[in-house]
Amino acid sequence: MHEHFPLPDASFAPLRPFWDAAATERLVMPYSARHGRIAWYPDDESDRYDWREVSGRGSLYSWAVVTHAFLPQYRDLLPFATGLVALEEDPSVRLVSLIVDCDPAQLAVDQPLEVVFRPLRFAGVDGEQMAPHFKPAG
Amino acid sequence: MAGGRATGDDGDWGHAADLEDVSGRIGVVGVGESDHSKASGRTATECALSAIERALEDAGLEPGQIDGIMFLRHGEHVDAAAFHAHFGTSHDIWESGEGGGMRWAATAPHAAARAIAAGRAKYVVNSFAVAWATQRGEMTGGPGQSHAHEHFKQNAEVPFGWFPQPVYFATIARRHMHEFGTTQEQLGEIAVALRYNANHTAGAVMRDRPLGLEEYLASPPIADPFRKEDCCLISDGGGAQIFAPLERAADHPKPVVEVAGVGLGRSHAGAYWSQQGAFTSTPQVFAAPAGFAMAGIGPDDVDVLTAYDPFTIVSLMQIEDMGFCEKGAGGEFVSGGHLRFDGGGLPYNTHGGLLSHAYVLGIAHVVELVRQLRGEAEGHQVKDARVGVYGGYTGSEASTLVLRRR
Repeated sequence: MHEHFPLPDASFAPLRPFWDAAATERLVMPYSARHGRIAWYPDDESDRYDWREVSGRGSLYSWAVVTHAFLPQYRDLLPFATGLVALEEDPSVRLVSLIVDCDPAQLAVDQPLEVVFRPLRFAGVDGEQMAPHFKPAG
Repeated sequence: MAGGRATGDDGDWGHAADLEDVSGRIGVVGVGESDHSKASGRTATECALSAIERALEDAGLEPGQIDGIMFLRHGEHVDAAAFHAHFGTSHDIWESGEGGGMRWAATAPHAAARAIAAGRAKYVVNSFAVAWATQRGEMTGGPGQSHAHEHFKQNAEVPFGWFPQPVYFATIARRHMHEFGTTQEQLGEIAVALRYNANHTAGAVMRDRPLGLEEYLASPPIADPFRKEDCCLISDGGGAQIFAPLERAADHPKPVVEVAGVGLGRSHAGAYWSQQGAFTSTPQVFAAPAGFAMAGIGPDDVDVLTAYDPFTIVSLMQIEDMGFCEKGAGGEFVSGGHLRFDGGGLPYNTHGGLLSHAYVLGIAHVVELVRQLRGEAEGHQVKDARVGVYGGYTGSEASTLVLRRR
């Protein structure tokens, strides 16, 4: 496990464009050169990816409200809503994210969401990483 | 194969493996379990060896007669060298690392049948054990570890708090609730029925801890919609089975239980639950029809079902996907004590399963089936059980084992 876990590992090449863009508050996704669709996760070595900025709009596919620190590093985040965002560009692609600026009890399946950038910080871990979070749209 | 991700609910999100028909070739001649416990200081190897010793005793076999051994290659396991070191033997033993628990508890008999047919072995033992309760204090091993190390999860899921398995499956449960109207009470019915079964099973970790639906509903959520009662135990223990040619099985003291069918299904999204096209289904959709076809049975012929149940929702989805009810009707199906060993419905995880018996990843589910089919399930016997099915599950794969009493 790398030193800043559970922050993302900057040395993991397949997702580096995602995290580099997030640092400048942009959401980019890998489009497959072979079939022109978003390929998530982009781990197919035979393919090439064109990382393009996407709208940051999507819908809430599903989520859990976490109240137990499954990792000690999550302790200061509790309670939090984490789940899957179906992207507007291709709803079969589900981005894992934190759902923020909401009352978790009021969330609804398929409700519209929009991206908002916030830093990720974890208890006992040095450093932070700007990351796409999602909030109710409108 | 995440880059070529699954594409929806139209049946192309997975497939059944093409397995050779091995129906009726071999039988289960011995089963054994170690003691199951919370943190005990035992190692997984000790638990597995204890289970093997008890399986040998059950089969009336000497260690020197075992000439095939199966285990799961990654993680602690008993291979031929460990077997010899423990029993003081030195004969040739055929080995396979494609055994163990989870989905392999159903497919190991298939590999054993082929090895036996090829003349490589006559008596094949498959074992699996974990000591995760003991290891938990050291933060080593445990069900979450491999997921935390997987690179895409570590870099695109864990940073957003979507980890570990209780969070994945709480998310799946919520979607199932949305799509099919499944309720919290219906998930609770599963937890309560399995606890009832464990309360009637000697050796179950939760034997002396009753659970009612009101108590379940009053329990605080840990990853809403899950309470801790929706999640499996963490325990130390192991199990083992011994397989032999069917004609030899009749020479053993116990009633003959044959391996009647095996099926294996795979999801194209691999172990990335976040990207699985059929989010509220399991690859039992592919495994169960194949396993049932090999055995020449249908869901209505099944007297007792055990299935890999890390979470209540995984039981619900597999019961649906194996065809015991329509997809989406699982919530209603499991209600009213329908899963109790004596509930008059579908006797399910009659030992209490991973939720209430022991978290030994399915190996004890197969031991339990054999005991049910032999009529040895003291205190929780299903009346006249002749056909038993185990459903194995690892996320990316599911498997089906059909056992039949001759």
